[in-house]
Amino acid sequence: MSWRADRGWRFERGWRPESGWRREIAAVWAFTLRNFQMASRNVFLLFELFFWPVMGVATIGLMTRFLRLGREETSFVLIGQMAFSIVGTCQLDVAYAVLYDFWSKSLKHHFLAPIGIRHLTVGCWLVGILRGTLVCVLTAVLSWWAFRFNVLEAGVLPAATLLLGCFLTAWIVGVCVCVLIMVFGAPAETAAWASINLVLALSGIYYPVSTLPAPAAALADGIPLTYFLDAYRAHFGFAPEHGAPIVTGLALSIVYIGLSHWALAVSVQRARRSGLLLKMSE
Amino acid sequence: MLAIDARDVEKTFRGGAIRRRLTHALRGVSLAVERGAIVGLLGPNGAGKTTLLSICATLLTADRGSLTVLGLDARTDARAVRQRLNMASGNASFLWNLRPPEILAFYGRLYGLTGARLRRRVEELLETFELIEHRRAPYNELSTGLKQRLALAKSLVNDPELLFLDEPTLGLDPDVAARLRRHIASLRSSRGTTIVLTTHYMREAEELCDEIAFIKAGRILARGSAADLKRQIGIGEVVALRIDPGLTDVLSAAPGVLRCLVVNEWTECTVDVASERLPELLRLLYDKGAIVHAVALREPDLEQVFVELAR
Repeated sequence: MSWRADRGWRFERGWRPESGWRREIAAVWAFTLRNFQMASRNVFLLFELFFWPVMGVATIGLMTRFLRLGREETSFVLIGQMAFSIVGTCQLDVAYAVLYDFWSKSLKHHFLAPIGIRHLTVGCWLVGILRGTLVCVLTAVLSWWAFRFNVLEAGVLPAATLLLGCFLTAWIVGVCVCVLIMVFGAPAETAAWASINLVLALSGIYYPVSTLPAPAAALADGIPLTYFLDAYRAHFGFAPEHGAPIVTGLALSIVYIGLSHWALAVSVQRARRSGLLLKMSE
Repeated sequence: MLAIDARDVEKTFRGGAIRRRLTHALRGVSLAVERGAIVGLLGPNGAGKTTLLSICATLLTADRGSLTVLGLDARTDARAVRQRLNMASGNASFLWNLRPPEILAFYGRLYGLTGARLRRRVEELLETFELIEHRRAPYNELSTGLKQRLALAKSLVNDPELLFLDEPTLGLDPDVAARLRRHIASLRSSRGTTIVLTTHYMREAEELCDEIAFIKAGRILARGSAADLKRQIGIGEVVALRIDPGLTDVLSAAPGVLRCLVVNEWTECTVDVASERLPELLRLLYDKGAIVHAVALREPDLEQVFVELAR
């Protein structure tokens, strides 16, 4: 018995790879499709999508009833809970860009291929956006049905802006988790789950940022989500704590996206130098 | 024309957060690989084979030295180099939930394959490596041999001009390993692919490689064809005798005899030059009254070269 290769190779010679934007899309789509395939076959990822968001809205909503919070306060807290679920789900997908391959010890194959950091993170972020949108719809429907909180009460544009802020923050946090893994390897794995809680606690998910101690409030001012939450809550009768929150949030996001991608590129280069890239693939 | 031109490549790994540990993996290695050649890197564990392979494949960066791969500088043109090479290793691993066609398509997209061409390439590779009947099985349900075949299929997804194979037959059954070796040989003969491989199996190196570089402690100690290496090492030739009585002590003391061992019914004398020593040994045996039933001359195998160099 012999394999076909012994009897000659069939596939075409001299092909040229796609160039320009088609190539960019192909590389991004590779990661999008891969993360989607992985997500669709993993029961734990379904938990991320349905169980935790539903439990979050249900418990926080019931707590508002017990505490007899008014309509505005209930909205305030539920907005925070929804943002928590959306950012948490989306950032994990970005972190999976490196985590999946870290777990399966296949990381070196990515960095052997002629791709850039952007393909890795954008491709995974797109799946995060899809899953984050599903979480948003699910929690919005539950909030309306159980607690009469209408996400679209302030209009579609403010809700979409908040969603955009959540996705941008998730992208930044996810890339930062990838950087930590590329620098520290296995010990940084828990950062994938821990870091988002720190970011969300600082950005005032259940309370105004002004209630934080001064040093923590100063840190909160550096987090884009703080501004997007502030802008959205203003539509529910809460005085904005920052001037031009959306512009500030977007500007900060752009800066952090650039910085985090630069840091990831540097950490990959460092891993090539130190041999960590190979160690993580053995 | 050279596929790889590495000159004075050095690599040191630093470890230990408190007590610094330095591991000198490569100490000024130079290697030139002709296009279309199959070159084997041999050496004991920790010799620096995989490090050299990984540096040439741009997975690692060298501390010092220059490296040109397929006519491009591996440091400044790394992405262009990566488009034209690929790598497979014996311990390769992929995402546990993905199926063979999905794995091949994923890596195909990373190399710029799209649409119908990508689908065609994936099907061809599945067919070539006889993975079609396993197309629905998740990666973690494949056997070791199938995983190895998939790793080799993945390494051909971009039709590389230069292919690195890190212990490609590691842990495979002998028949599967033999088939994989035929695959590798056919790659060069039918596609003109330059192949650099590391292996612990001397037979594999002897069967596949035009040239072998022997690495130890980060240095290339010897290089050449298997026959060249045997000559270079000067570990002698073997005169095997079936004699009665054995007379091992007498033969060991004869001029030009390096060592003498009894293997099964044969007394094997390693001598410096067999053509000169054989008549002398036969005369000595005749003088001692021994009966010679059979005589055979053997070249040392690569394994002996390996043992000699690894000392």
